[in-house]
Amino acid sequence: MPRGMHKSRTLRRVFVKTPGGKTTLHYRKRKPSKAICASCKKQLAGVPNERPYKMMTMAKTAKRPERPYGGVLCSPCTRKLLQQKAHQSVEEKK
Amino acid sequence: MSIYEIGRICVKIAGRDAGRKCVVVENVDDIFVMIDGDVRRKKVNIRHLEPLAEVIKIADKASHAEVKAAFEKLGLAVWDKKSKKQTERPKQIRKAKKKVVEEKSKKEKKAETKSEQKEVKKETVAEVSVEEKQEVEELSAGETVEAETKEE
Repeated sequence: MPRGMHKSRTLRRVFVKTPGGKTTLHYRKRKPSKAICASCKKQLAGVPNERPYKMMTMAKTAKRPERPYGGVLCSPCTRKLLQQKAHQSVEEKK
Repeated sequence: MSIYEIGRICVKIAGRDAGRKCVVVENVDDIFVMIDGDVRRKKVNIRHLEPLAEVIKIADKASHAEVKAAFEKLGLAVWDKKSKKQTERPKQIRKAKKKVVEEKSKKEKKAETKSEQKEVKKETVAEVSVEEKQEVEELSAGETVEAETKEE
């Protein structure tokens, strides 16, 4: 029987294969939610969702795409935004 | 003729250089063009570019130096390679070794001290003997003097 504290679903369950060949149940803390695009709310690619202690050990370049608005907007939304800005600059010059 | 003619100023909208201005330097084919300016000089898909109204006069396959001169006239920034100089490895400087005095074994030490003591003793003995001899001489001299007086 699991311990009382393990009966609730606060912790996520991970099946771990031991060196002896048995599978045991481990309890781990849940991961934070996945990053989403600020405009279209889709999940962002290339942005890991790990617990803060793991994110701290990662390099900055491993945590978001290396482009303007990387880690905030998805790539199609970034393109649209930059296109709009380019059009605006053209119109202002006219 | 496509809009991406040589000298057309564009904005890059994809990748690391997104949002930066560039100029078309060479038409590779229908899809790809060579760009230079405030971006890394490279071949790009025209779908990654957004054309602007300006077209500058520039030679076909212009070098980076020419593009740089043209961009500086327009007052635009130019991407330059930041080639790093190889830094020298920090060399470990060895500390000058202290001259290690070879520790003599106990026997040798003892022998040395003993020999020194002996020498000291010898010297004292020699001094003493010299003094005694002098005394003896003096005494003998006195005796001779006494003998001489008796003879008289």
